Amino acid sequence: MVERKEIEHLGDLVKVELKEPEKYIKQVEQIIQYFDRLDAVEFNSDDTLRNEVDLENLRDDTHEPYDISLIDHLKKDQNNFIRAPRMV
Amino acid sequence: MNLGISATEFVSQAKDGAISVEEFVAKTLDRINRVEEKLHAFITVDSQNALAKSKEIDKKIKSKDKVGICFGMPISIKDNICTAGLKTTCASKMLENFVAPYDATVVSRLKSEDAIIIGKVNLDEFAMGSTTEFSYFGTSRNPWNIDYVPGGSSGGSGVSVSALECLGSLGSDTGGSVRSPASFCSVVGLKPTYGLISRYGLVSYANSIEQVGPMARTVEDVAFLLNIISGHDPHDNTTVKNGHVNYTQDISSGISGKKIGIITQMIGEGVDKEVVSATNRAISKLQELGAECIPVSLDAVEHSVAAYYTIASAEASSNLSRYDNLRYGFDFGTEGYEFKAFISKARSNFGPEVTRRMLLGAFVLSTGYYGKYYLKAQKVRTMIKAQLDEAFKKVDFLISPTMPILPFKVGEKIDDPLKLYLTDINTITANLSGIPAISVPFEMSNSGLPIGMQLFANSFEEKKLLQAAYALQETANLPEVPL
Amino acid sequence: MTRIGLEIHCQLTKLESKLFCSCKAEYRNLAPNSNICPVCTGLPGSLPILNKKAVEKAVMISLALGCKIPEKIAFFRKNYFYPDLPKNFQITQYNAYGPTSIGSDGKIIIQGKEIKIRRIQLEEDPGRLVYEGKSMLTLVDYNRAGTPLVEIVTEPDFETPKQVRIFLNVLADLVENIGVSDPYLEGAMRVDGNISEGDGNRVEIKNVGSFRDIEKALHFEITRQQSLLEREISVVSETRHWDDARRITVSSRSKEEEQDYRYLPEADIPIVLIRNESIENIKKQMPESIVAKRERYVKKYGIPAQVADVLSSDRFYADLFEKSHNERNAKEVANIITTDLLSYADTREKKLELKITAQHISDLADSVMDNKLTRNSGKQALQEMVKTGKSLLDVISSLDLGHVNDSGSIEKIIDEVFQEEKKAVTEARQNPDTINYLVGKVMKKTKGKADPATTLDILRKKLSS
Repeated sequence: MVERKEIEHLGDLVKVELKEPEKYIKQVEQIIQYFDRLDAVEFNSDDTLRNEVDLENLRDDTHEPYDISLIDHLKKDQNNFIRAPRMV
Repeated sequence: MNLGISATEFVSQAKDGAISVEEFVAKTLDRINRVEEKLHAFITVDSQNALAKSKEIDKKIKSKDKVGICFGMPISIKDNICTAGLKTTCASKMLENFVAPYDATVVSRLKSEDAIIIGKVNLDEFAMGSTTEFSYFGTSRNPWNIDYVPGGSSGGSGVSVSALECLGSLGSDTGGSVRSPASFCSVVGLKPTYGLISRYGLVSYANSIEQVGPMARTVEDVAFLLNIISGHDPHDNTTVKNGHVNYTQDISSGISGKKIGIITQMIGEGVDKEVVSATNRAISKLQELGAECIPVSLDAVEHSVAAYYTIASAEASSNLSRYDNLRYGFDFGTEGYEFKAFISKARSNFGPEVTRRMLLGAFVLSTGYYGKYYLKAQKVRTMIKAQLDEAFKKVDFLISPTMPILPFKVGEKIDDPLKLYLTDINTITANLSGIPAISVPFEMSNSGLPIGMQLFANSFEEKKLLQAAYALQETANLPEVPL
Repeated sequence: MTRIGLEIHCQLTKLESKLFCSCKAEYRNLAPNSNICPVCTGLPGSLPILNKKAVEKAVMISLALGCKIPEKIAFFRKNYFYPDLPKNFQITQYNAYGPTSIGSDGKIIIQGKEIKIRRIQLEEDPGRLVYEGKSMLTLVDYNRAGTPLVEIVTEPDFETPKQVRIFLNVLADLVENIGVSDPYLEGAMRVDGNISEGDGNRVEIKNVGSFRDIEKALHFEITRQQSLLEREISVVSETRHWDDARRITVSSRSKEEEQDYRYLPEADIPIVLIRNESIENIKKQMPESIVAKRERYVKKYGIPAQVADVLSSDRFYADLFEKSHNERNAKEVANIITTDLLSYADTREKKLELKITAQHISDLADSVMDNKLTRNSGKQALQEMVKTGKSLLDVISSLDLGHVNDSGSIEKIIDEVFQEEKKAVTEARQNPDTINYLVGKVMKKTKGKADPATTLDILRKKLSS
């Protein structure tokens, strides 16, 4: 059911290079099959258990600069940029 | 000096000047040095700062200055909770060098009450696991028998508290990660109601489910810590205003007249015989104290493991996307790479369990599958909560053994992920529904391995829950840790 | 038949803080990575905290565009990896599982044309990338990461690029008026378009720089598609970008694999409840809508519908109108603005260069209404005032403008014209329609000061005698 190609595709979606994709095939398949039991669940409710907050209680729009120079704690270059490889 | 006193006892002795905080901390550090080789609970020990802080506090106590209510008690922090200036690795290569410039809210609240952060403790990588065996830095070991797992993912917390390396710990509980090590290490561990405790500074794994959880050797210690760390935080939009509850007050008021429901799905088939008989004994003890115990059936429990791992994997696959090693992480040059190749290579340094969950998460969220898995799993959450609400109309608390099995040997279940997932069946219900649950050490098995009992209450009923847990604790008669 | 739809990203630059943290919303001209915090850089353990005003402003935009606003709004994560995205997901809104974004199903009528709005959503802007020549690296600046954006998606209801330009101008005015954004700041309003011809495939045009470029890009694309269809070549469904240097649209990378964004709810932000009471409060804070303005112009001032249409959708001139008119000259002021002034200054730059003031216009309107100036003189006076900013009186005297209405003076001029234009006079006697030529000559001699009605009257009398 789950093939190597599928595992590689999933690895690409989450951007993780899989050195041995075969290792994951059996386990992922087994677990997805276990998840399939959710199909049998019948429960009609629109409730989502999510907290709600009223618009009036949201954060006020004020500028508060962060209290330290955060860039000094990150991997920056001499001009305070972060360097990343280009996306081709 | 007795390192085995409770945190509450420590506070009263330190307050009176009966013990010196510096001496206690020094002895604690000494103890850590001696046992760590066997137990490996700690990733980072902050000895210098801890000692310096302890001296400060002794000074304040002597000169009768205002001292925070912790009076310098040494606390360990799970290494997925940010501590300014101390590494927060999440037991992962991906964050090997990460030092947060800020404290998690729970840490700053403890610090402002003069708790001393003695160090950062071990966990399964990014809190994904039930045994601490998935730590990049190697597993921790159960102090009751070092060939056995300490539970997880907050294994380091369970071990450090149990082995007298600190007076309390903050762990995190997503699917049982505070209660499982509490049970396996014979300490108390609470998973609070979702929204009671700030998650600011807790590195996200499954953000709709997880909570920071206090762990200690006694229920009153856990209540003490809860008083400090709980409450609304403007840095966390999911925290709820719950008023000012004092969790230690009236903690010994008992459970006479209360009704306790025994979750039938959690002591049936698949549960170890010794665990079942321990549970029955716990129930008898509670009845002797005046509680009425009746069986309660929650059939939604059957789907809880599938629902949990669906949601947790989905959220993990998104929460962990940020770890691309560009802004922080570990040493790895960008030269010669193209963006996608670079980050894929950097991210190949996640361990196998984390990788597995990210793959599963990508799967259940990919186009076309959202309704089949993720939405269905959310329905199960609602279903579980509805069934719990019904149950709590009839009973005040629910009870089950925390773990369906006894602690097992290191390496025993590591190659069968699904089997390992299924050991969470008793704890996951509280996570999915958001209700609070606590594990109280109850008995030792015939082979000297800890068995914990789990009590549940409805949302935001921690005060009531701690009273029941206290009552149960007082019936237990447990040996001292052998190490 | 051309069908054009738009996807507009509008930054809420006038807010004080970003969408999910208290860093500054206005990031321009700041030193690299100096406007950041753990939240907008997505550091481990950081959590988003929603900005109330951003939601309120987004509600205003939704109301102004006639959208439905749900009682509960939710946020989602759009997962993809890119160097400018600190969390490698964007917190946005998504309606596939229900209408939970800030607005949906709206419409706006611009100069008689109805444009339907599919949805409006609130989301965060990513950081900025700086490319260093040919190096394999890109430099990332997160100052912009987390800036609030409102995305507006229209149905493909536009039929011409001009309609698109007018809509964008109205939208830009709207957001400026509501006090949300300065849409003329670089990057504050970004527009992508999608366009199809007849039954042909849809083409997306992305990364168009300015409003003017959009009109050009759309024109080019229509021409391109039409010429393909004429040669019976089918249009490829793809993404193209506007190449400003070559003035053409160019195909972007070959049709990329459809990205799987694996949307899931953003659990760190609770569902936000927007009660009717809140919406009513927000409505009270809103400036007058274009529709309401137009109605007011028609009902209160008796301004003709077409004039009201134009005036109400141009905020600059509507404001000028409000300042210029008095109790009796409203209609004339509206007329002067929309007929004459608009033709001199129809772009933002030209409007800003105008030297004319409300006082100028009011004086002019009064003079024309009082017959101190003919309409014709009025036009000349306006042109001069626009250029020099001189007062009406100064201009009248320097250009020798005015209104001549006494029959004696006019008759004298007419006699001169009859002498000089014998042929035209003969023609006019035979064909009354050609009288305007003679009227024009009279106007020329009087520098437009002769009263047209009186002139015509006297001319007719003389011609028939």
